[in-house]
Amino acid sequence: MFLIIKRLWQVNWAEQWQYRANLIMYLLYWLVSPIIYLAVWTSIATANGDVNGFTANDFVTYYMILLIADQITSNIIIHIFAYKIQDGSLSGELIKPIHPLLNNTLVNDVAFKTLNLMWLTPIWLVLAFVFKPDFASVTLNGILLSIPALVLGYMINFLLSGTIAALAFWTTRVFSIHEFYYALILLFAGQFVPLKLMPELIQTIARYLPFQLFMYLPIQMIQNNLSTNEIVQGYMTGLIWLVVAMTLFQLTWRRGIKRYSAVGA
Amino acid sequence: MHTLKLLSAFLKVNIQMALAYRADTVVNILLNVMWLGWELLTLSIIFSNTETIGGWGFGELIALLGVFRLVNTMMIALIWPNTEKFNQSIRDGSMDYTILQPVNTMFLVTFSRITVWRIWDLVLAIVLIVIGINLSGDFVTPLHILTFILLAISGVIIIYSLWIVLIALTFWFTKFDNNVTILQALLDAGRYPSTVYPVWLRIIVTFLVPIAVATTVPLQALRGELGASQIFMFLAIGIASFLVASRVWKAGLKRYSGASS
Repeated sequence: MFLIIKRLWQVNWAEQWQYRANLIMYLLYWLVSPIIYLAVWTSIATANGDVNGFTANDFVTYYMILLIADQITSNIIIHIFAYKIQDGSLSGELIKPIHPLLNNTLVNDVAFKTLNLMWLTPIWLVLAFVFKPDFASVTLNGILLSIPALVLGYMINFLLSGTIAALAFWTTRVFSIHEFYYALILLFAGQFVPLKLMPELIQTIARYLPFQLFMYLPIQMIQNNLSTNEIVQGYMTGLIWLVVAMTLFQLTWRRGIKRYSAVGA
Repeated sequence: MHTLKLLSAFLKVNIQMALAYRADTVVNILLNVMWLGWELLTLSIIFSNTETIGGWGFGELIALLGVFRLVNTMMIALIWPNTEKFNQSIRDGSMDYTILQPVNTMFLVTFSRITVWRIWDLVLAIVLIVIGINLSGDFVTPLHILTFILLAISGVIIIYSLWIVLIALTFWFTKFDNNVTILQALLDAGRYPSTVYPVWLRIIVTFLVPIAVATTVPLQALRGELGASQIFMFLAIGIASFLVASRVWKAGLKRYSGASS
């Protein structure tokens, strides 16, 4: 098994390197909104002294950490996988004795992510030089505490995106469904603004959903802004959602595979 | 006249193509309404925490959202579909047939695909602009409105020209099929007044990829912040960029040699 993964890694890593120009464009595209939100909120905080207790520096550090957290927990499997179902190239992978999504696609996504984080590092340092965040509230404990949350966030997001991608067995409109899913992330993950500044109702709903593990919770753990209670609650909700996401994925995958008849068959 | 006839023919073809995918059109419109809701929510969150942003009030940001959506619609309804077709035609050589047509090639390449259902988005954008201006309570003179409209048109022309230059670069670098991503990447900067951005970002969105010239600048004219000389400068830049773009396009076209040779 280890050998298979190693081989898959070599193939996917080489494949991702081949598209490095595309990768840089993607990274640029993905960097812009957090930087804009950072600029907007710091300008508001500077004009008013603070925003509900958030100082300009709080916003700078929040979005600087968000750039890394979002990169870790997000995935591109809707782009890799739904196409494979639609154009029938999945057939070749199905005859191999390993799960296509949980091996090849997963490794491909991790290779993409690793390369992105490599490119992001120098950009991040330049941004840190420009915005001069003061990371005084960040401790080693906070960072260590956030790592399981980031992994959990990645796993849940991967399985839910995988479920949506598997809907391509039934419908050609998976990309519209995925757009809706992406809107849910924007709303409940704290990408636009730290959830504490969102309307009360959205905060309450967010507590029962897994999306805050994608960005808001790990960032706040790193910033040491959460009470023990909130941390425990966040992890518990995450674990429950991991089970839910696994079940959802297994169900759609098994049924989808039975329905699947490749293009041309 | 010839051009108008062609344009209406393009529209007809594109309407027919859209009608073949009715359910998709409905889904897309629903998603579009969802994004509008999200945009309004973000503005209401911002203004529940502050009175003004960079000196601009709620109404002014609604109007800015309207102008932004004009540019955004051009991006989605015109720039993306035509760029995709163009890149494809460079790769497989079908550009040959486009060049052989007895019409201006630049016109043909940039207007043959139009996502027609997006036209309702234009109406929505104008509604947002009107509501925004009313909400802002700014004192608006007819002269302000006139300069606003002129600058918005010139801003759209500047973005159009930049697009022409970007796709014309494909004639030199065939593999450059990321040509409009840079435009899309910085587009989101048009949602907020560029005055709130740090200087380096403001320089990028004003001079390098002039999104702000198409969004912030017309709104500034409406607020009466621009002097006559500035207004004329921006209009002149609009005309100049179109002329430069046509030149670059022609030079690029001369380099085109088909896919097989």
